[in-house]
Amino acid sequence: MNRRNLPAWLWASVVCFLLAHNAYLWLGERLEPDSDILALLPVEERDPVLKKAFTHMVDSAQQRMIVLVGADDWAQASRAAGTYLSVLAPRNNLLQPDEQITDHSQQDGIALARQHRLVLVTSRDEAALRSQPKQYWVDTALAKLYGPFGGIRPGAWQDDPFGLFAEWIQARAQETPVRPRDGRLFVSDGGRQYVVLPFRLRVPAFSMAAQEAVVPLLEKARQAARKSNPQVEVVAAGVILYAAAAGAQAKWEVSIIGIGSLLGIVALIWLTFYSLKPIALILLSVGVGCLGALSMCWLLFERIHLLTLVFGASLIGAAQDYGTYFLCYRLAADGQSLDSYQLLRRLLPALVLALVTTVIGYLALALTPFPGLRQMAVFSALGLIFAWLTVIFWFPALVRAGTVKSAPLVQWCAASLERWPSLRRRRSTLWVAGLFITFAALGLSRLEGQDDIRLLQNPPKELIDEQIKLSRRLDAPAPAQFFIVRGATSEAVLQREEALTQRLEPLVEKKIISGYQAVSSWVPSLRTQETRRQLIEQRLLNDDGALAALAARIGADGQWITAARDRLRAAGAKLTPDDFLKTSAAEPVRHLWLGQVAGSYAGIVALRGVSATSLPLLQQAGGGLDGVQWVDKVGEISAVLARYRKYMSWVVLLSYFAIYGLLYRRYRGATWRALAPTALASVATLALLGLAGQSLQLFHVLALMLLLGVGVDYGIFFQEHPGGRDPIAWLAVVLSALSTLLSFGLLSLSKTPALQAFGSTILIGTVTVWLIVPCFGHEPPRRLERVAP
Amino acid sequence: MKQLRACSFMLALLALLGAAPVAKIQTMLAKPKVLCGRFDQSKQLVGLKKPLISNGRFCVVVDKGVLWRTLQPFPNTLKLTRDEIIQLRGERVALRLDAKQEPTVRMINSVLFALLAGDLAQLEKLFDVDGTAQDNSWSVTLKAREPGLAKAIGSIALDGGVYVKNIVISETGGDRTAIVFSAIQTGDGALTADEAALF
Repeated sequence: MNRRNLPAWLWASVVCFLLAHNAYLWLGERLEPDSDILALLPVEERDPVLKKAFTHMVDSAQQRMIVLVGADDWAQASRAAGTYLSVLAPRNNLLQPDEQITDHSQQDGIALARQHRLVLVTSRDEAALRSQPKQYWVDTALAKLYGPFGGIRPGAWQDDPFGLFAEWIQARAQETPVRPRDGRLFVSDGGRQYVVLPFRLRVPAFSMAAQEAVVPLLEKARQAARKSNPQVEVVAAGVILYAAAAGAQAKWEVSIIGIGSLLGIVALIWLTFYSLKPIALILLSVGVGCLGALSMCWLLFERIHLLTLVFGASLIGAAQDYGTYFLCYRLAADGQSLDSYQLLRRLLPALVLALVTTVIGYLALALTPFPGLRQMAVFSALGLIFAWLTVIFWFPALVRAGTVKSAPLVQWCAASLERWPSLRRRRSTLWVAGLFITFAALGLSRLEGQDDIRLLQNPPKELIDEQIKLSRRLDAPAPAQFFIVRGATSEAVLQREEALTQRLEPLVEKKIISGYQAVSSWVPSLRTQETRRQLIEQRLLNDDGALAALAARIGADGQWITAARDRLRAAGAKLTPDDFLKTSAAEPVRHLWLGQVAGSYAGIVALRGVSATSLPLLQQAGGGLDGVQWVDKVGEISAVLARYRKYMSWVVLLSYFAIYGLLYRRYRGATWRALAPTALASVATLALLGLAGQSLQLFHVLALMLLLGVGVDYGIFFQEHPGGRDPIAWLAVVLSALSTLLSFGLLSLSKTPALQAFGSTILIGTVTVWLIVPCFGHEPPRRLERVAP
Repeated sequence: MKQLRACSFMLALLALLGAAPVAKIQTMLAKPKVLCGRFDQSKQLVGLKKPLISNGRFCVVVDKGVLWRTLQPFPNTLKLTRDEIIQLRGERVALRLDAKQEPTVRMINSVLFALLAGDLAQLEKLFDVDGTAQDNSWSVTLKAREPGLAKAIGSIALDGGVYVKNIVISETGGDRTAIVFSAIQTGDGALTADEAALF
């Protein structure tokens, strides 16, 4: 073994490890990219309560599915729902009907509430207790007593003579329009009648295998339900449907971008070198890059996101640069007695700079708080590094003089460079500069920022429509807008929730929101319980209270009064959230109780019927209350996007200076020539976006950062050679630019708006850099024969 | 949930306005388009020596609904139509249940209408019907099939001939309500002007 070959052997053992690890991942672990649709959303790590609140709101939804089966009449809807369920029934290992919400489970919670009924009073009745005279309560009780069929009331009249508990039960029932009916859950929009079918997903929503099993099953059930009666409507919503749509889309994009880029590169290299070996070599470096990126990403993150693979597929185009660069110069060096090791030593500085600048470009993505972007950045940077190391360690050993042959593309390239205009001090240059400045000014002036959350997620319209329809029918609480209420104790949280809900009541009355949900509606604070107890004692149970007056009216004696009073007082025991949360009746609001987090207690007040117009009013309503925080996740994400759009714009600018500094040591006075093409291309890209009426997003800015990394490589390749107009450098740039165009061009077809913005920016930017980089040489090009550096 | 139970309770009682051990009673009952009359209710509460007495008028109108007006000692009106249940305490609306939101409203009404049309199958879905019928009189007891409902309602007994005469509701808590119907009128003239106005 040659000593010079030692690094190659060492690298071979690393590659063997990568191969083994990948085999283990794909075959042993059955690695499955996950399609977590939230991965691109920013993480809020600073505040543990906020984080837990969001997790609660999301997790309570993540493993659930709700299906509405509707028809013009209830019998048809019920029948169709039966058919729907019968299709799903054999697969209840995937989707299980959620029993917890049905009638039976409510009984134990109601039983608990009944034991504490004295303190369970609506705020309206509480106000009435304060303001209404004794006679009002006597009349109420008598009306209930003499009313038709004993009046409409739960339990015996004497358990709740004044109907306070009945009102409270009524108010809780109003928190949802869903009603039990014939053993099913029912909701109506006034016209159609729907059966509500809640399901619990028993496989992880973000697993692709689960999605592949569940989605067709649901479709089969939908078709079965509609088969007997085509006017039956099935509306389904669940995180898994979004994840499945995103997953299928991403899978398609991975294959398109991956296969497209690969074929393109193979074709390009074939056209350049006319032999198979260079193709094999380039694929080898790209392959090792991908294996390395996968392995290391798995070790770092313990999961691979599908979007990472979509973005990573564009890596194929970028990772082949170094190999191509080496091969191009091998071709040129064949005329001289330069072996591959010597050649490498000569090319190394340019290769190092090219790698460092590109990796910097990618790593800028990791500066954002979006976990998905971070993974993409790390994946890509690692892929580049592994591909680069493969070139450094293996290419000198594998590529000898004569390995690569010149093909017509090489000659064509050299010839084209000679005809390429270059920047000189002359009139036409001024004209071009003037035109460019006008164009840039016009374009940039039209550019506006956009920070909509839809940049991150763009689910199919049908899914959104169904989701909206379902939320409206069920009057479901908003998952992304709510209040967080904190306190030192659970009692403090409940008290603060009550202060907040008091302010929300007027909004409900004015129909600005349709309602709210809070644990304090079910379990009043001990303070409120005590107030009510005293109030009832004073106004109703006292010797001169309503109860005694009532007794006189119905001819009851003192014994009856004592018995009734004792009965009511016995139902006045303290109710705590812990007791309540143990019952299954707490199921609909359990996720609203965060309990103890980071030393304090917290709860969520969820809102129903939230609209864009109600948001500022809600925020206002929560203002100035101790421990109450308004959370608007959608607004917050938009704010994060906006903040990072500005922040990253500065990072891009500063990076130009940093890279200028980095390159200055090597290129001195010519450094600007390496950077100018990329800078101009970035300005041109922005101007084009502006002229095309597109708005500037964070992802355009991030792409400009990457463009800096990629584009500067071209400048470096050119400036490496005296005069800066070397035909071989040009060849390397042409090949690199074409493959980048292919990869990112395909990425710009992605349905994920963020990736699409990314792809199109790089596409326009790279084309521009490619076209103008030869203009920044300061000498006319030398002929191919004189190529040697 | 409570509401459901409470309404089912009413449903059960309304059902009694014409219920039966099926076929035979069905043939016995008259099915007029409009049926009005007087009711006298006597309620015996646990721990009270004296029963609580009330009376009023009731009307059942095919395709319209049911009106139940307590006149003594407190005016109180319950109106059930296809779309809603409204309880009026004096002039004030004390309760309104919309059929669009509360399926029980439709259930009560559909059962009620089925009942007036002589369709007892609907009633038997929810209740065990047990009873006897002679030449021109009959009596039945009803018990809800669903245990939770049965516990809430208790048992219901009724008897009658061409029309229902007596209803007795025995709640599980021990309270007992007896309703006696009298002065039955049928036909267009049965509704008084203010009753007609309420529909």
